Amino acid sequence: MTTIATDKALVAHLLRRAGFGATFQEIDKFAEMGYEETVDYLLHPERVPDIDEDLLERYYIDWKESRNIEGALVETVYRFNARAGVRPMQEKIALFWHHVFATGLAKVLHEKTLLNQIDMFRDYGLGSYRDLLVHLAKDPAMIFWLDNNVNHKGAINENWGRELLELFSMGIGMDGKDNYTENDVQEVARAFTGWTMDDDNTASIPFGKTPWLFKFDADDHDYGEKTVLGETGNFTGEDVIDIIAKQPSTARFICRHLYNFFVADEVQVPSWRDTAPLDPEAIRIMEDAYFESNYDIRSILKVVFNSEFFKNARFQKVKSPAEVVCGTMHIVGSYKFPDQRFFEEALECRYMNQDLLNPPSVEGWHTGKEWIDSGSLVERINYVADELSDTTKPGVRAMVDNLLSRQSEFTPEGLIEGCLELLGYFELKDKTRSDLIELVYRAGEIRTDNPEDRMFAEQLMLRTLKMIGATREYQFA
Amino acid sequence: MTLQTIGNPPSVKGHYEYHSVIGALAGSGPGFSGPVSLDFGPDGNLYVASRGNPNQHEAVRVTRCTKDGEYLGQMPGWGEGEGEFIWITDIAFNAEGKLFATEEHTHRINVYDPTDFSFLYTFGEHGSGEGQLDRPSGIAFDSCNNVLVVDSLNNRVQQYSVDGKFLGQWGEFGDGEGQFNMPWDIFIDGDDNVFVTDWRNDRVQKLTRDGQVLMVFGGSGDGEGQFNRPTGIATDADGDIYVCDWMNDRVQVFDAQAKYKDTLIGHGGVSKWAQDYLDANPEIEHKLKLAEQNIEPKRRFYRPVSVKVDTDNKVYVADCYRHRVQIYQKV
Repeated sequence: MTTIATDKALVAHLLRRAGFGATFQEIDKFAEMGYEETVDYLLHPERVPDIDEDLLERYYIDWKESRNIEGALVETVYRFNARAGVRPMQEKIALFWHHVFATGLAKVLHEKTLLNQIDMFRDYGLGSYRDLLVHLAKDPAMIFWLDNNVNHKGAINENWGRELLELFSMGIGMDGKDNYTENDVQEVARAFTGWTMDDDNTASIPFGKTPWLFKFDADDHDYGEKTVLGETGNFTGEDVIDIIAKQPSTARFICRHLYNFFVADEVQVPSWRDTAPLDPEAIRIMEDAYFESNYDIRSILKVVFNSEFFKNARFQKVKSPAEVVCGTMHIVGSYKFPDQRFFEEALECRYMNQDLLNPPSVEGWHTGKEWIDSGSLVERINYVADELSDTTKPGVRAMVDNLLSRQSEFTPEGLIEGCLELLGYFELKDKTRSDLIELVYRAGEIRTDNPEDRMFAEQLMLRTLKMIGATREYQFA
Repeated sequence: MTLQTIGNPPSVKGHYEYHSVIGALAGSGPGFSGPVSLDFGPDGNLYVASRGNPNQHEAVRVTRCTKDGEYLGQMPGWGEGEGEFIWITDIAFNAEGKLFATEEHTHRINVYDPTDFSFLYTFGEHGSGEGQLDRPSGIAFDSCNNVLVVDSLNNRVQQYSVDGKFLGQWGEFGDGEGQFNMPWDIFIDGDDNVFVTDWRNDRVQKLTRDGQVLMVFGGSGDGEGQFNRPTGIATDADGDIYVCDWMNDRVQVFDAQAKYKDTLIGHGGVSKWAQDYLDANPEIEHKLKLAEQNIEPKRRFYRPVSVKVDTDNKVYVADCYRHRVQIYQKV
């Protein structure tokens, strides 16, 4: 590729990871802005005007109030898609923390409360990890999900304390050693007694559901002395989070999560105690950024996105279903304005094995190749192929018009290269490429200088987009 | 108990008293599910359209009840076929007593016989040409029994004969007089003055039925006389104007010259239908009693979207997110 093409390919890579992909117009715009400037732009969504909430409320009256899991899922996907072109990182970081701090409606059964948790990730997900943990500990959906509302002084429930250490911060172990003891779990649980929730209105009748709120019950809090990770004192929940945040194991665990989500597929989380990171040097660089920035997620990601290990990790990740659906929606330009048909399409994530807001367990979803099974692969291919070949979609129309207006005659190779470029500088393996060339070659001459030929070229281009969407390579980001 | 016995608290300026409430969340039968429009039928009963829930198709319906909350029946109809609706937005009765309903998903107007909810005919199709519609919302009738429809995404009002023949149109996109930005509702008084809530311009325009501007009032904000996306609109026999100030969660009242007069904030108690539910679920009522200190905000309007005034000067407000109709009495 030329230098310009390389720059655009890198920007496309960045936008797939720090967002949900990009249209060819966006790739051009950000390539002109410059790579490092684009990183800054993406990491500061608060500087960009937000989407129009009034439209969401006007048309999705029922979903806004979210009285069921489908409504909540649809609202979440709507925001992913709507912000994909303006504040993609805000949505991507919300999706990331939803993976890490997986909380599910199967138990919570209060959609608006869980949606408030996702909003909290949007608001604080790029800031201090320490502060984020405090917000998480006060999040009523999490409190209910992990039973901290029944964690009482003198009668602890250790569920939240255990998962805080095991899944949300330190991980069970590092470099083959355990990170904490059973006593730490119980002492952490004591520190969070009294951190509960106000659930005065769970029923829809007579007033409609209202979100739960955090409540600190001082009478139920254990103010006694505790020993946590080798430190002793009359610790509160926030004191414990301060102790947790400064642990090297926390830096390792969070950086591995960030690496797994934004850079390249790692082994699954339960293996991290005994399996070294895929790229130990990258993790070391990220850990340094964690401590140097006082646990600031935005600073770590800035280091990541500007690193060579990130730039060299193109197509090293299997797309999650949310990335497949929202990324495709964004490229084809679907549903930038509310539409009833959006409801069914948003559920595609579920059909591809990612039921947003309803993860399989507190451990969240297994990622990488575990996203793929025969059923989900068929869903992915059918969905993407249908979308990419639908010229009623403005993004598809724009791609067709852009490529076919460039010249009056195309070789099969040229048509395929043009399609790959417009889709975000995708790359095909040699065998896939030669198979595609053969298929396009069989169709005959590709010309655009009279209406009949152009119509033929358009149909051929749509078939080509469809075939690219069905390739193994397209499943990677 | 405080939950039920809230009395008749006054409006902000004291020109109105809270009267009663009808409704509770229900996907079918007695109750509403995201009520978006209400009107009084020729039989003197109240009709309420519920926008519902995309995963609960039967919840999208028109409910009929007496004005004091006796449930009488419903018209379900979710679907894209003739006479069906998915995104029902406004309902209104014409002089002949036919029920008209706007449908934003299929961009058309459906007409029914309200006595048995039988479907009569439909008109409208998607587009921006004459007579075509793009998300029709408010609907009303002039003294000649012509139909005026807010064609919201085309930023105009279109006029049809009662059988759906295109007669004319006025309005275009913009923020000048006679221009609109996604208008929502329309109301026509007895003198054929037309009131349109100009939703994204946060204002109300009063016009003649052929679109000549008579008065414009409002502006963005949450102060007296300002709006945050006005939705439903109506006038009463005195000429007072009622505007659902949607995202400010209130209904503002103006006199006929558009001078600010009063604000309704919502005082919803427990309706008959809700009490039936609580009687069958005493543990819910017990929890509500325990949390009584938090109930006050839930009595307030939460996205009021439609308003009408009856001949007894009772003001009916569809309180969308709380699935109820709150009623005030003008004093």
